[in-house]
Amino acid sequence: MQHVITFVEHKGGQTRKVTFELATEARKLADALGGKAHAVVVGAGAQALAETLKGYPLDVIHVNEDPDVDRYLLDPAIDYLETVAKSVGPAVILIPNTLQGRDIAGRIAARLGAGLTSDVTGIALEGGKIGSISPKLGGTSITTCAFKPADYGVTTVRPNSFPAEAGGSGAEIVTVEKPAAKTYLMLIESESEEVSGELGLEEAPVVVAGGRGLGGPEPFETLLKPLADTLGGTVGASRAAADAGWVPYSLQIGQTGKTISPNLYIAVGISGAIQHKVGMRTSGTIVAINKDGSVPIGDFADLLVVGDAFQIVPELTKQLRATVHA
Amino acid sequence: MKIVVTVKLVPDTNSEKRIDPGTKRLVRTGVETVINPFDEYAIEAALQLKEKLGGDTTVTILTMGPETSKEILRKALAMGADDAVIVSDPALEASDVAVTGYVLSQALKKNGFDLVICGGLAEDGNTGGVSGALAEYLGVPGLTNAAKIEVEEGKLRVVRETDSGHQTVSAPLPAVMMVTMGVGEPRYASLKGIMGAKKKTIAVWPVAELALDRPIGTDGAKTELLTIAKPPERGKGQIVVAEDGPSGAKIIFDFLKERKLV
Repeated sequence: MQHVITFVEHKGGQTRKVTFELATEARKLADALGGKAHAVVVGAGAQALAETLKGYPLDVIHVNEDPDVDRYLLDPAIDYLETVAKSVGPAVILIPNTLQGRDIAGRIAARLGAGLTSDVTGIALEGGKIGSISPKLGGTSITTCAFKPADYGVTTVRPNSFPAEAGGSGAEIVTVEKPAAKTYLMLIESESEEVSGELGLEEAPVVVAGGRGLGGPEPFETLLKPLADTLGGTVGASRAAADAGWVPYSLQIGQTGKTISPNLYIAVGISGAIQHKVGMRTSGTIVAINKDGSVPIGDFADLLVVGDAFQIVPELTKQLRATVHA
Repeated sequence: MKIVVTVKLVPDTNSEKRIDPGTKRLVRTGVETVINPFDEYAIEAALQLKEKLGGDTTVTILTMGPETSKEILRKALAMGADDAVIVSDPALEASDVAVTGYVLSQALKKNGFDLVICGGLAEDGNTGGVSGALAEYLGVPGLTNAAKIEVEEGKLRVVRETDSGHQTVSAPLPAVMMVTMGVGEPRYASLKGIMGAKKKTIAVWPVAELALDRPIGTDGAKTELLTIAKPPERGKGQIVVAEDGPSGAKIIFDFLKERKLV
């Protein structure tokens, strides 16, 4: 493992911050290993996105706008990544730890006979070994895993774990050849975008989450969303809220939902039981609003304000807006 | 149709006490081993398909672990699965996702399958890589994050959750499919189910029964654990009572400002 390859997730050329975080980390890791930093961008809009990525410190960006990538699930993208990996040579492959990223990582690792480290929040070189640092067992343990000697290693990286720093002298953009004719079987028949343009829960720097205390679905729209929007974040929920059908399960944070590490987590009407805690305990700062001062979240929140969220949140949104626009 | 559900046994992180509706006893949690909660959704999806398809559809539970896992697998059988297989061998200790995927794929070949259903992330390791590895090793379509599932005429059609919405994807069987919680809450075992489960078969296969041609256990693992540490525990922060909306908002606003978060 000498080079670093980052797989770029995007939709029609639109990507998320994690892409730039990985491009930045790919450079640092490649320098430490004495190799080059590559990126793979395939599907509609790849060329335009590659131009944007030139603003980041990569060496080579491999592109192909093959329509099969958007027509069939996973397989074409994995074939392209495999093609690049084999042409580049021994490498660590960095992939965002998102729904799609995890799918691609599991497949490419098996295909390349590579080790897989997942949900990684830090990378450290120790005695020539590449150590992947990751919270496990619901964040109750921090493990460092190393790849055993092999040509390839695959790592899924938790968004918001590395800084995104523009720079470099402009990568070379090359076209990656379409892999030899294959029959793809997983046909994407239709697609709907429900959170288009918004940051995914796992990547948002700020998450405003609601729980049972909100009493219904409306406050998620009327109370939490304006606050999240003002802070440049997104809305999440506890299991109780998802189970009640107030929000889709895709917004659920915790044991059976998503594990996130935003810079700021605001919990509104969430008691903070262990099942919830394991999904957000690694957040930078935790602020809770609850009418009950004895809820478990008080034991690990940086600030618990005891009061009526329906009064506090709109005021807070108002104050923040005034500051932003000042 | 032959459905196989792969499950992982994990330490229970659920510290809340609950009553088992079957035995009416307190379930003593703590360091108890349980079926990975995500995998219960895979079992639920399989049982729903079995009900819908009827006929000779069977559901087999497949896991890798110690023989003592039998009692835990009874729960899946009590829910309605037909039988279970444990691939159990001391040689499998310290297997990583690469080895697990490979060994399970060989067990699936031996058992036969039309559809393999996996849960999402495992609660302990959180790798989420096994379903992908199975699709690769078995050379069949690997659908992921399926929330709604239809099977007709040898074809699978799923509505799957994506990072930004939903997709409808179809693929021919045989296939591997990873499901989300969208398939619906796992059912509780009925008393009849619990009684019936005692008579169901749980086979134990040592690795000698599988046609393995790669190293397993530690030798086959592509990763090694260097260190494991406790994260710094989050200390108790401030707890402040707000008199009214504006004062509560000000407390938070000032706090965020102090931390340079606004």
